[in-house]
Amino acid sequence: MSRIGVFVCHCGENISRTIDVERVAAEVGKLPGVALATDYKYMCSDPGQNLLKKAIQEQKLTHVVVAACSPRMHEKTFRKAVESAGLNPFLCEMANIREHCSWVHENREEATAKAIDIVGMMVERVKKNRILPAITVPVTKRSLVIGGGIAGIQAALDIADCGHEVILVEREPSIGGHMAQLSETFPTLDCSQCIMTPKMVDVANHPMIKLYTYSEIELVEGYIGNFQVTIKKNARSVDENKCTGCGVCMAKCPQKKIPNKFDQNIGMRTAIFVPFPQAVPNTPVIDRDNCTMFKTGKCGVCQKVCGPGAVDFEQQDRLVVEAVGAIVVATGFDLYSIAEKPKGSPIKGYGEFGHGKIPDVIDGMTFERLASASGPTGGKILRPSDGREPKQIVFIQCIGSRAREKGISYCSKVCCMYTAKHTMLYHHKVHDGQAYVFFMDARTPGKSYDEFWRRSIEEEEAVYIRGMVSRLYQKGDKIVVMGSDIAVGVQVEIEADMVVLATAVQPQKGADILAQKLGISYDKYHFYSEAHAKLRPVECATAGIYLAGACQGPKDIPETVSQASAAAAKVMTLFSKDQLEREPIVARVRDANCVACFACKKVCPYGAVEEKEIRDRQGNLVKVVAYVNPGVCGGCGTCQATCPSKSVELDGYTDEQIVAMIEAL
Amino acid sequence: MTKLSYSYYPGCSLHASAGEYDLSTRELFKKLKIGLTEIPDWFCCGATPAHNVDELLSLSLCAKNLELAEKIEGDLAVACAACFSRLKTTQHVLAENEVKRVQVEKAIDAPVHLNGSVKHLLDILAHDLGLERLASSVSKPLTGLKIACYYGCLLTRPTDVPNLDCTEAPTIMEKVIESVGAETVAWTHRLECCGANFTLSRPGVVLQLTHSILESAKEAGADCIMVGCPLCHGNLDIRQKEIESVYSTSYGLPVFYLTQLVGLSVGLSVNKLGLGAMMVNPLPLLKEKGIL
Repeated sequence: MSRIGVFVCHCGENISRTIDVERVAAEVGKLPGVALATDYKYMCSDPGQNLLKKAIQEQKLTHVVVAACSPRMHEKTFRKAVESAGLNPFLCEMANIREHCSWVHENREEATAKAIDIVGMMVERVKKNRILPAITVPVTKRSLVIGGGIAGIQAALDIADCGHEVILVEREPSIGGHMAQLSETFPTLDCSQCIMTPKMVDVANHPMIKLYTYSEIELVEGYIGNFQVTIKKNARSVDENKCTGCGVCMAKCPQKKIPNKFDQNIGMRTAIFVPFPQAVPNTPVIDRDNCTMFKTGKCGVCQKVCGPGAVDFEQQDRLVVEAVGAIVVATGFDLYSIAEKPKGSPIKGYGEFGHGKIPDVIDGMTFERLASASGPTGGKILRPSDGREPKQIVFIQCIGSRAREKGISYCSKVCCMYTAKHTMLYHHKVHDGQAYVFFMDARTPGKSYDEFWRRSIEEEEAVYIRGMVSRLYQKGDKIVVMGSDIAVGVQVEIEADMVVLATAVQPQKGADILAQKLGISYDKYHFYSEAHAKLRPVECATAGIYLAGACQGPKDIPETVSQASAAAAKVMTLFSKDQLEREPIVARVRDANCVACFACKKVCPYGAVEEKEIRDRQGNLVKVVAYVNPGVCGGCGTCQATCPSKSVELDGYTDEQIVAMIEAL
Repeated sequence: MTKLSYSYYPGCSLHASAGEYDLSTRELFKKLKIGLTEIPDWFCCGATPAHNVDELLSLSLCAKNLELAEKIEGDLAVACAACFSRLKTTQHVLAENEVKRVQVEKAIDAPVHLNGSVKHLLDILAHDLGLERLASSVSKPLTGLKIACYYGCLLTRPTDVPNLDCTEAPTIMEKVIESVGAETVAWTHRLECCGANFTLSRPGVVLQLTHSILESAKEAGADCIMVGCPLCHGNLDIRQKEIESVYSTSYGLPVFYLTQLVGLSVGLSVNKLGLGAMMVNPLPLLKEKGIL
């Protein structure tokens, strides 16, 4: 016979205002199996927990029901209390009479009746609870960081500084990401390269960081603490161990007119190249699509001039497998290209703004390269079309962002600030120039951000026009910008020399494919989803995978760095134990009933279902059944609901428990 | 291939100032063997005045016309951009707003039909008939004729209502006319407003707007302009002489309805296309290009 203790919480007045808690305790106390039913003002407080622990010991309770708030809030608290009193924590259940009852009802009589029902159901349920032993899995104390921008670099350095090995994988030939492309950074106007490149060097020199550049994630297997990651090292055509980074190969390469993606295609590079002089590693890559040797089989100049003989035309793509315990995803963002509607995308293009057709209509990142001292113009603001200095420049914000009719409804968050910065940089470099900004709202919530924006207007003479632009067109060597000034209520036409579009921040291309490899979820824009928007902002719902930076949503540098350090802290929390204990709420397959249809395998969002062979004593195959790997199972219960032969049960949520609850009603 | 057949809502303009649009539409459809049955007893869609004064009136006028159209088999073909816009707007509003739908049903004393498809002629030519079939009907390709396709305001706006093509960077007109052998020009003012019915109340504003449209077409090297709206046509064609005199310039840009140009390509005669009704005489241009 069960001896159940029921503890009804007042939650200050949160519950007792609407529910007669004493009556709930009295009524529930009459149920068979209930040995004790009592109430207290704050069950979660120290005296409340002590009351519970004392009752377990004195009354020899076998099960506990705490009628209080949502289990999301305090289930862990009470299970811990129950455990410290010597009971298996999974023999404690919570009846949610706050969120599900007192907060949503007004009538005291009805709410009390409902609370009695809710608690009664949990009493019947807890009778069927089994002792669940904790599941432990070993932890491999190495981590993978995907993406070598500022987010990935920060996370990798933080983890490595704690003494744990980090595998840092970057798709491009150099780490640095978008931050390495920036000129100055808001709100202090310090040079991006000056604060970024030392960190890149730290990564290269760190004994605990293993760097894979020009590499991609091919396959991810395993689960928290025990991932196997296959990395594809693209053929660099240059032996990293032999190359000294002298740069002679680049100086001699005859192909010199290839648009450099790092310079937003306004600067040129050679076929054997490093994307920028401060690249890490300082090892060139041969762009095989544009290399004369690869196209015609004749040239090989770089190989001839290379002293150490590092150039290797025969090099192949290579797969390497690394075992890691945690993964930080930091794949960052890309800017929305407005020239054309991307094929197959729900996002519509901005043909009316002429980006991609009118050469002097550029995006914000291209302006960064123009303004950068290491950029293709050496930091001079010059028009891509004719190299003249623009005397009238128009900045247009919210291109793509906050434009539901174009397919994106979110705010890209960084554009207001970087446009204000652009007007300053422009004013510093073109003294007789005039900058205009078309904007919807100025969004500047950050430390010293609003002051920075005001400065662009008050001290740096930018003219801000509240309103949007309907159309741009080329007229002679000018660009006519037609817009409206809604503050004054007039149509505005500006003949500009150059137009800069603050295009929307989007996740990196292929973010969805990587998410599918990792088994993490993403939203309709392909930004990765955190486990909880407020309380678990750096963790994925998939255990052992963490998020840093703009791959989760648009972010500026300070926020990205904060999140990267937070992700590193989460990894360190995981690595602080040798064995990982996880909640034993996992699905279990009854081998005898399983008909091997593998419907469960198809629906499992965690990839936890495997095929298991059952053999007799002679080793003959009897049947194949589904097997849920307890290390991977997330305990969502989808398999249980799907199984047509009712062979899967989720521990802690068995059919028997659910039916008992329904019968109690 | 099944025979295409439509109910037809000409709208008031096509029975008055835009008679040649009506004529050329009927002749073109006959030639392309597309059925076209005028809705019996149709009436005004309300155009701009109705929805400016009374939304319920505007919606009800269109809803009643839509109900009349239901009685004829086939989707509803509309030539006038304004009628097209009003009918599509009505469908859109009534589908989204239950309260207004009930009001309109009471006003027209009939259930509202929202299932029928309302199609602009461009949609029918480009998608239902298809550009390939259209191209195969061509007997006199418009080779060498450089056309500025003028969309005006209503064919594509607002987003999500007409759903004819991309709101701000459409290509459907260009595709249709290129498929019959013409050349199109890239120009800046193809989606600007012509001033519409302010042509009567504020002619000065309209002259300014149409002037910049004509200038832009001329600068882009167009021989003529193609439109799909009677009001745009009126402002660009009927007013062209006046614009030229006010701005002391000369355009000489014939303004065709799309059905007239497509009609020429499938071999319809000058009379069947009402080319005589155009204020800017197109015949010298067409002769020069060897199309006539």
